[in-house]
Amino acid sequence: MLPDAVIRRLPLAVCLSFAGLTTLSAEVDFAHEVVPILRKHCTECHAGDKKKGSFSMNTRTALLEGGEDGVTVVPGHADKSKLIEFILSKDLDVRMPPKGDALTPAEVGILRTWVDQGAVWTEGFAFKQPAFEPTLRPRHPMVPPAIGGHEHPIDRVLEAWLQSKKLPTPPLADDATFLRRAHLDFIGLLPTVAETQAFVADPAPDKRARLIRSLLARDIDYADHWMVFWNDLLRNDYAGTGYIDGGRKQITPWLYAALRKNMPYDEFVRELIAPTAASEGFSKGIIWRGAVSVAQAPELQFAQSVSQVFLGINMKCASCHDSFIDRWKLKDAYGLAAIYSDHPMELVRCDIPTGKSASAGWPFPELGQIDANKPRGERLVQLATLLTQPDNARFQRTMVNRLWHRLMGRGIVHPVDAMQTEPWNQDLLDVLANHFVAQKYDLKATLEFIATSRAYQSQAEVQSGDVDGKDYLYRGPRGKRLTAEQFVDLAWRLTGTTPFKIDAGVQRMPTKPITAPEAKVGPLLAQPIWSNDVTAQRPPAAGEARSFRHSFTIAGEVEHALVVVTADNSFEILVNGKTLAKGENWAVPQLLDLAPFLKLGRNQIIIVGRNGGTGPNVAAVWCQVALRLRNNKNEVTFGSDATWEWSAALPNAKGAMPVKAAWLPVAKVPVEAAPWKKAEAMMAQMISGVPSSEGFLPRASLVKSDLLQRSLGRPNREQIVSSRPTELSTLEAIDLSNGTALTSLLERGAISLLRRPWKSSEELARWLYLSTLCRPPSAAELKVALELLGAQPTEHSTADFLWAIFMLPEFQTIR
Amino acid sequence: MSSSHGLPLDPSLPESLARREFVKMLAAAGLATLSMDAPRLLAADLKVIQPAAKADACILIWLAGGMAAPETFDPKRYVPFEKGLEYKRVLSTFPSIPTAVDGIRICEGMEQIASVMDRATLIRSAIQPDLGSILHSRHQFHWHTGYVPPQTVACPHLGAWMARVLGPRNPVMPAFINIGQRLEGVGESEELKAFTSAGFFGGEFGPMNLPYPEEAAAAVRAPKGMDPSRFVNRDKEFRRLADASPNRDVMSDHQYESMMRSMDNAYRLLSAKERMAFDISLETKEVQAEYDTGRFGRGCLLARRLVENGARFVEVTTEYVPFFQWDTHGKGHETVAKMHAEIDRPVAQLIRDLEKRGLLDRTLVVIASEFSRDAMIEGKPGSKAKDQSFNKGTTMESPDHYGLHRHFTGGTSVVMFGGGVKRGHVYGATADERPLVAIKDPVPIEDLHATIFTLMGISPKTAYDIEGRPFYATIDGKGKAITSIFA
Repeated sequence: MLPDAVIRRLPLAVCLSFAGLTTLSAEVDFAHEVVPILRKHCTECHAGDKKKGSFSMNTRTALLEGGEDGVTVVPGHADKSKLIEFILSKDLDVRMPPKGDALTPAEVGILRTWVDQGAVWTEGFAFKQPAFEPTLRPRHPMVPPAIGGHEHPIDRVLEAWLQSKKLPTPPLADDATFLRRAHLDFIGLLPTVAETQAFVADPAPDKRARLIRSLLARDIDYADHWMVFWNDLLRNDYAGTGYIDGGRKQITPWLYAALRKNMPYDEFVRELIAPTAASEGFSKGIIWRGAVSVAQAPELQFAQSVSQVFLGINMKCASCHDSFIDRWKLKDAYGLAAIYSDHPMELVRCDIPTGKSASAGWPFPELGQIDANKPRGERLVQLATLLTQPDNARFQRTMVNRLWHRLMGRGIVHPVDAMQTEPWNQDLLDVLANHFVAQKYDLKATLEFIATSRAYQSQAEVQSGDVDGKDYLYRGPRGKRLTAEQFVDLAWRLTGTTPFKIDAGVQRMPTKPITAPEAKVGPLLAQPIWSNDVTAQRPPAAGEARSFRHSFTIAGEVEHALVVVTADNSFEILVNGKTLAKGENWAVPQLLDLAPFLKLGRNQIIIVGRNGGTGPNVAAVWCQVALRLRNNKNEVTFGSDATWEWSAALPNAKGAMPVKAAWLPVAKVPVEAAPWKKAEAMMAQMISGVPSSEGFLPRASLVKSDLLQRSLGRPNREQIVSSRPTELSTLEAIDLSNGTALTSLLERGAISLLRRPWKSSEELARWLYLSTLCRPPSAAELKVALELLGAQPTEHSTADFLWAIFMLPEFQTIR
Repeated sequence: MSSSHGLPLDPSLPESLARREFVKMLAAAGLATLSMDAPRLLAADLKVIQPAAKADACILIWLAGGMAAPETFDPKRYVPFEKGLEYKRVLSTFPSIPTAVDGIRICEGMEQIASVMDRATLIRSAIQPDLGSILHSRHQFHWHTGYVPPQTVACPHLGAWMARVLGPRNPVMPAFINIGQRLEGVGESEELKAFTSAGFFGGEFGPMNLPYPEEAAAAVRAPKGMDPSRFVNRDKEFRRLADASPNRDVMSDHQYESMMRSMDNAYRLLSAKERMAFDISLETKEVQAEYDTGRFGRGCLLARRLVENGARFVEVTTEYVPFFQWDTHGKGHETVAKMHAEIDRPVAQLIRDLEKRGLLDRTLVVIASEFSRDAMIEGKPGSKAKDQSFNKGTTMESPDHYGLHRHFTGGTSVVMFGGGVKRGHVYGATADERPLVAIKDPVPIEDLHATIFTLMGISPKTAYDIEGRPFYATIDGKGKAITSIFA
């Protein structure tokens, strides 16, 4: 094949043959002769935002600058101008325009003459208005005066904007809608019925602000929920391409801890960019096996990830060639890559080396430079410092815009990864960004700032049809779809079917002693027990399994019943023959809701303890129950102690013990090891009612994705994901209608729900409406619900009712 | 676009139909939803003229794991096993047999397929790029999406392109159905999921996965243990509850309607007669027996039923499980003999059945694999790919060593039946002596895809906008259809 240069020179001969057609003497009229030709054939791809081949003729300056092929127009010399060469080429791979008809000889003649006459341009003329270029540094807009008593800075900006657009102020959402929205937005869970009722009944004027603060203070619930957002954005997961062969590294424990302690965002980003071993997974990216496109080398992945996540810049195009759609060039992508790289890099355009070497740099040198001569570690620190400096408002705006998008359903700049787009309200964006900086990059402070505005607390916009694009007008927050994780969590919680373990290696135990009065930590009654056949000469063998039992009587309706349990090394707890939970990690005791498993009269707990290790070693089981009956103020507690019995026999698959099993008194195991004491302290806290004890239950965000979560839109995290699909697809709907995962969950859920003492179908229906939608059913709904449930709820009718509720758009939406 | 009787093959779109009208048409039919974050057909490419479709449906028979062309559709010199046989002497471990077409021979063990080769175009010169280390999942990703992983956006599968651009043939039927591949509990499942996906097109255009053909009926039935009347009742009461919501009027129409529409679509399939198409047990015992060589054979029967009832794109695979099926790192001859037996009858029967029903002319059946295999060469001549054969010796000391145990990317076969391709035709060739590289008319993936897309009425230049840039059906819109194989 001929090299490019040769091919492109060939048409010269052709162009000479047309020379006779031009009238060299006539004065060409730029506006009336040239512009229409360029508009007809060229400017669709080479003006405004578009610069195919890095070439724009939007302005005369741009035209003379040329593009990838170098200088394109030489004023006074049509014969030296590639513009003319290209339009005359007969090679369809070279000819301009690439699509549609070639220019007519007359049109070519006009352009030749125009170039020969100096490519005269009407001063100030541009084919398209230049693309919006966002401001980089902070702005401090005047916040307009409050209108109608709305003092919140966000509301003051919005009110002024609404007035200028002659749009009404969106009405305030009712308490229940707000309560549900805030719970789902901040901790991803629903309020309990009691919480909903208390909140709605609370007359205090500051109850919404207090609720927001209390939700944000639930550090474990908050971290559990926001792991979804950050895992998507930082493409972190618990399984997936690369992890198995060391080509990818999780940042899970670091990320979770950062969220729990609400690490300031600037510090957070510094730790991601100039990382420790715990946080380096993000910048390492994914190392694919085999040969990959140069544009996906780890260094360029770093360039792309840093640009997209922290600056809302798409550096993907520019990793391969100068971008056609924005101002970023190949050298910009390589500049960032070179900061990260531990070796000199050569610019490679579309997998072909250019011979030019990359020099370390970042997109906004006007805010400070990277010293390319420093070692890698220092360069990364420099980048982190430059990114997070207060003058870099792009960094702040990118983040607050993401949070606004999360809470309000649409970005101020939209889409959120295209921060070069004009915001619909620049002042609003800057008010948020400035607040963020003033609050020392406190993410929770921004969330609280947004959530305490009247705007967040307003009724959701009623969108009709597909309204989006450039004409967006703010009319209140937009409804959001439940994430896969939220859907699954809600289904688990409501039906008591939460699985036993998480896949994320995260620390979810309380870090500080609970000081709240209602959470006074009582003494732990549970004693470590094991079989009494253990002696100093015969410690429990590795893998040795023992059943431990205890019976008790329930004489009335259970108000609440909790059990805390663990075993060295693992356990399964059965209540009245049904498995309640399993635990694999003795250091992490579990707090479980016992109530659904209890019945009037005699109840029995069996714990199967299994020893670990490779040789004989010490083993123990702990268990403590705390329960209270309705209309009875006294809490009843009891723990594993000498009254328990053990057996060498184990329950069968159906949870039943062999009839002939021999039961003997247990022996108390002396506590020696400090780690046990720590676990015991945790158990004491847990059983004493640590606030948000629900947070100890596994969350969907902390387990590997499965078919149900995938079908609900949890992404494969090989690419950065900043917003998930907003719509339910048909295939998802099929899965939800008949898929095994949800069906079996609903079946188990129905059984679990029916263990509770419902007085009537109506009570169940009311409870479920309050639990899922935070409102009682209307008369019409109740009528349908009762038809569906029947006079007395059955397992079938309850499962069907659960399904119908879960499928409601109102349920699947955060309004 | 559907008809009330059995086989609603829609008429192909007129050639002049511009994209804009086409999309409008789809939207009106409720088949394409252009939501806020969904990709839109690239504005500049509204002018792309779609070719007239020569086929309405496509069945991809995916012989995952690396089907050795010299052991199937491109037989070379056969040398029987003997202890101490030198690898370099072995090109094929099966003798060749004649087919229904004079001059076309394929490997012994595929006598049934041989008898229908007069309905096929046999491409013998498909080639793969050198991706360094030979990894099945990366080549499979490339084959199914047209893009070499990794990519900066999630790439749509071939079937998702058809679902996106063409939509379902019968609005009740999912447009893209994937039979026989488990995506959980098998090796490299994460990598398989990465391309078994609609990518940035979004879930609406993704695959309906049916790993077990015999369980497909359950995938479109009321949940297990729920009798039909309960299922109908549940749906009815659900709708009444949705209607009764006092918040119905303050829900966004957009969200409410789109969720309810998807629920409608789901219910429609789960209650329509088309769901019978998923139930292979409705075939006679004789027909079932004709296909039933195992899961793959049953998958072919299922594919036939689905296409009869309006499926657009169906993939049926012998399944990729590392080191199993076609992925022979040892015992190649013995394993491939079993694979012959697994595919021979059902593939031939599928072709005959489609023909008998008058569907073959408008149904494109493609047999393909991610690459070929060779007894000596890993990758292609000169590549630095790591040798992955279990036996590194130069001679075959046991029957376990007899076979093509190395991944070969220099030339392989793709077979196309029906749907607008020539019959009894061969395109391209590989060398007769090692290296068995394509020596005539090499066909890279983008050209192969361009051919398939063009036959289906999709221009290889069709592009959708993602993150402000065009994403083409074939890379950079550059795939060129092999029009000389068109009938």
